[in-house]
Amino acid sequence: MRETILKLDNVTKVYPNGTVANRDINMEFEKGEIHSIVGENGAGKSTLMKIIFGIESPSSGTVTYKGEEVHFNGSMDAIEAGIGMVHQHFMLIPSFSVVDNIILGSEPKSGIFIDRKEAVRRTQELSDKYHFELDVTAKVSTLSVAKRQKVEILKTLYRNAELIILDEPTSVLTPQETEKLFEQLRQFKDQGHTILFISHKLEEVKKISDRISVIRNGVSKGTYKNEELTMEQLTNLIIGRDLEKDFDQFKTHEDFHDEKVLKVEDLYMERNGKPVLNHMSFAVKKGEILGVAGVEGNGQQELVKCLTGLEKTAYEGKITICDKDALEMNVKQRRELGTAYIPEDRMGDGIAASLPISDNIISTYYDREDINGRFFMNQKAINKVADELIDTFTIKTQDNKTAVGSLSGGNVQKVVVAREYNTRPDLMIAEQPTHGIDIGSAELVHHKLLELRNQGAGILLVSADLNEVLDLSDRIIVMFNGQIAGYFPDASKTNDQELGLYMLGARHQSEEEIGGALNA
Amino acid sequence: MPDTKKEREARNMLSITNSKVFDTIKILISICIAFIITFVILCLISEDPVNALVTILTGPFRKTRYLGSIIESFIAYAFAGLAAGILFKSGAFNLGAEGIFIISGVSVAAVACNPITTNPFLHSALCILAGALTGGILMIIPSFLKAKFGTNEMVVSLMLNSIYSGISMFIIRNYLLTTTTNTVGSKDYLETAKIGYLYEPLRISACLILLIVCTVVLYIIMYKTKLGYQIRLAGSNPKFSEYSGINSFKLALITSAIAGVLAGMGAACQLLTQTSFYQPDKSLTGIGFSGMLLSMLGRNNPIGIVISAFLIKYLEQGTQVLYFVDRAVPSEIVAIVEGIVILLISSQYFLRGFREKKLLQEGLKKDA
Repeated sequence: MRETILKLDNVTKVYPNGTVANRDINMEFEKGEIHSIVGENGAGKSTLMKIIFGIESPSSGTVTYKGEEVHFNGSMDAIEAGIGMVHQHFMLIPSFSVVDNIILGSEPKSGIFIDRKEAVRRTQELSDKYHFELDVTAKVSTLSVAKRQKVEILKTLYRNAELIILDEPTSVLTPQETEKLFEQLRQFKDQGHTILFISHKLEEVKKISDRISVIRNGVSKGTYKNEELTMEQLTNLIIGRDLEKDFDQFKTHEDFHDEKVLKVEDLYMERNGKPVLNHMSFAVKKGEILGVAGVEGNGQQELVKCLTGLEKTAYEGKITICDKDALEMNVKQRRELGTAYIPEDRMGDGIAASLPISDNIISTYYDREDINGRFFMNQKAINKVADELIDTFTIKTQDNKTAVGSLSGGNVQKVVVAREYNTRPDLMIAEQPTHGIDIGSAELVHHKLLELRNQGAGILLVSADLNEVLDLSDRIIVMFNGQIAGYFPDASKTNDQELGLYMLGARHQSEEEIGGALNA
Repeated sequence: MPDTKKEREARNMLSITNSKVFDTIKILISICIAFIITFVILCLISEDPVNALVTILTGPFRKTRYLGSIIESFIAYAFAGLAAGILFKSGAFNLGAEGIFIISGVSVAAVACNPITTNPFLHSALCILAGALTGGILMIIPSFLKAKFGTNEMVVSLMLNSIYSGISMFIIRNYLLTTTTNTVGSKDYLETAKIGYLYEPLRISACLILLIVCTVVLYIIMYKTKLGYQIRLAGSNPKFSEYSGINSFKLALITSAIAGVLAGMGAACQLLTQTSFYQPDKSLTGIGFSGMLLSMLGRNNPIGIVISAFLIKYLEQGTQVLYFVDRAVPSEIVAIVEGIVILLISSQYFLRGFREKKLLQEGLKKDA
């Protein structure tokens, strides 16, 4: 029997809006293990992590750390006790150097001054000890995403963390980088650190974990040894049923005569004197899904903003939506041409959290005739639309007057997708449509996208999740540094390893090959 | 689930965990606490605190004149509250109602002092129209500057408050100055411009009807029309409304124009019923700012705002009555009640723990 480092007893958390995020959770974490926590989004994983890290306090129940009951009052207490957390969205100051970021808050001092030499020595030593291969004097803004993550991990190690929580650490990494991260995690484990690994990607969980805990609907579904569970059993535990995995069977292949709903030619945009979109050309045809793969921050966001009309910086080139020149059009006009858009930042752009579902679910077509009378909006018709969509998209809510902000992430995304789906678009721009949401909701979103595709809509799928791109797309382009680095006319003939090489810029196709993205 | 949707809705309606019910309870408890504190203060300064409190609460009912005074004086405040309410609801931090009241007053006075027509109804109507137009046009400026040049609305609107009151003084001094008295004020309004009473004892005038109509129209606009939908959307998440394809520039101009029109009408009502000539540094000062507090009390809901305006004026009248009875209690005590109520209602944390406990119990029950 190994030593227990952290123990949760009957932990329950209720949020002010009435959401019961955790209910009577009992879990034990052993010293020196890699322990994964899996569950759908909204199942209560993040809340549980926040409780462990001291950001939230439990409504009832106790947390025992190293044999003592603890009541953390904020994350500083947790850090002091030896718990570290690497957040999904990095908590780094880009304009500071690696050293400055790492020592921030616990600087080595000589007198009243920061002892920089000592700081550099200590961080470099730490980096070398764990083979991080970091230049600690470099500015964080010059580092790649994977390196930034290393800085985050180093930050926790610098503060002598024995228990490290990693929240969705692989969501921003390429397969190659993920492999490296895993090697490092195993190394930490050998040195006695405990790793709490949170992920949606079950393959990765199976690969790295010693033990796996499952949470469903805020309730613990037990802790299992990795080797006790098959992939199917794990999925079943998480969503309570089996999952359909093969998307190809849902694709129909009607002939739309290569009609193009979106044509982008020579799109170019600069920011701070550097090109962020560097002469991109591609097209989306009716009845197909064009996947855009790439590590985050290679111009995907800018591309989507240019296409939807939300970009404020000037850009040039040619954008043709449904045979109309759309370059000079605003958001509304482009939507009227048949564009729909699922935004990446769903809480920021995709909803008004304080308004009810019924208001949110019509925002992009509130002026449509069927929900408007001559003077007034037709509340009855709106309720009907909302109720129907809540039904078809199985949005978990009391009624259509519930504020969207009180729903779980997956259900919020369903509201967004339901709304965009209901505009009956010709061109759907889906940006990270399942980022950070649970498997069940993600499955539904995928099926609805396929449904649109089968009905003849063209879909531009921008995603950092390679499996999603590979599973859904008909054709794929890979973006690197604002350019198309690779074009794959048949998504089923490539794999994540190959795409990964293009994503990292290790390979680049010839002009001719890439030209196929526009002319195929 | 065993219970039907209707039953569930009915239960939800009465439960404290429902946010509307919770808000109402919160307001009621806030008012109670404010009165308890007031009572404690009354105990310290008054010889008969029980009677003093009763007088504050029931005083206005002792004479119809008192009630009439409330009805007459709350109208301008209600208009100011409506103006602030629509601005806040749209997410604009425009604090310009104060200046708009003052400069609209100049237009009202200008029309009221000139023999434009002999028809009393028409003359009053033209005065109100002048105020509304002035307000509507001038209120746009901060929103326009914000949308076009990215200026800070709050700073610009506050600055404009000073500018407008300066301009008002200038115009009154140079073009409309009274010759009969020594004060800085306009000439007397013509009799045809003044608004008379429809029902004298309660001082009900056409202004009250105008207020009721405006409130209802505004309520309908906010909650039943596309424009109101756009305003609410932009107010709760501007990025989302832009994403949805709403023209935020146009929307901001329309919203501030409506707010300006409301403020201008409020100024006209106040002047034509309460004064006989216009003093820019006295007649309308403070109303625009009070409107923001009322908007907060009424949670930006037009009907809530009008009710709050009435209640605040009621309390003020109550303390006035008390002052007649008991000279030891200054009428400023009403400010304490107002202050406490606003503080408690706007507090995010007040009663939150209580609600969370209820939610916890309910959440656990649902599971069992």
